Amino acid sequence: MSDEKLVIDGREIALDQDACLCCLDDWSPQVAQALAKREGIELTEAHWEILSLVQQFYTEFQLSPANRALVKYVALSLGKDKGNSLYLNGLFNGMPAKLAARLAGLPKPANCF
Amino acid sequence: MAKSVLLISRQAPWAGIAAAEALDIALAAGAFDLPLSILFMDDGVLQLLDQQQPLALQQKDLSANLQALPMFGIEQLYVAQHCLTERGLAESTLVMTAERLDDQQIQQLIREYDYVVTL
Amino acid sequence: MTTLHILNASPSTATQLKSCLRVVSIGDGIVLCGEAVQALRPGSAAAEQLLACQQTYHLYALQEDVQARAIDTTMVSVTLLDYPAFVALCVDYARVNSWT
Repeated sequence: MSDEKLVIDGREIALDQDACLCCLDDWSPQVAQALAKREGIELTEAHWEILSLVQQFYTEFQLSPANRALVKYVALSLGKDKGNSLYLNGLFNGMPAKLAARLAGLPKPANCF
Repeated sequence: MAKSVLLISRQAPWAGIAAAEALDIALAAGAFDLPLSILFMDDGVLQLLDQQQPLALQQKDLSANLQALPMFGIEQLYVAQHCLTERGLAESTLVMTAERLDDQQIQQLIREYDYVVTL
Repeated sequence: MTTLHILNASPSTATQLKSCLRVVSIGDGIVLCGEAVQALRPGSAAAEQLLACQQTYHLYALQEDVQARAIDTTMVSVTLLDYPAFVALCVDYARVNSWT
């Protein structure tokens, strides 16, 4: 995949080869909306809740969560109703760690295909 | 059943990439549900020291990364007591809970795993 | 359920030997290769450490590394290995701990 750009309000935002933001400071809710649209996802409250948790994870641990870590972290914060693969897969096209990191403006999680 | 791995991390966070590589092994094992435990030994115990400021050297915060281990299913962390003591750290606050082991307990620990990887 | 510990660094610049001797179990093996064979030098501080607890473990060294460094091993109870013997040895132990 060649490196692409997003254009938001006339501003160009660079993406890396994993379609993640090159510069984490470029992130804004509009950027998340635009990235979600590329994945065919309409962001709802349920999505935002997870995106903000993924950002919190990154602030806390300085890395993006893989699926297992995401599930566990969500379960600890929001309970098992949301901290499970089924729920998170449903929100993020079956690739919760990868897409949530991407939409939250974070680097691609390691060990994730 | 998956083979168990004991990872022995012996290098300081500032001494090249060995400490970061060891952590990568642990996170990968966690992501794939492999049973892995970590023993911090020799200068590796310095990875657990609180209040370090890697940004001063433009380095990533390894101790923040380490604290993610339980999220990746790596819950069993051990530290060699004599290595803390030798470095004047016997009473120091560590960034995370690790069981302190004496030499005999470490000998026993090594015997409990299928594989040992030392970095 | 014994372990084969492989050491490759000089006992004067690395902590491998010192740390290994603390955690070696009865019946384990220790293989010295590369600069680690310096620990066999008679009268050296490292040799003394090695010999002090030699009843605990089996000691091996890579012959070519010993030979190259002109180390006299006649005073020490050490089995010298060529590479095929080294490989065979690794299989004999339950696990291999390669110290780096």
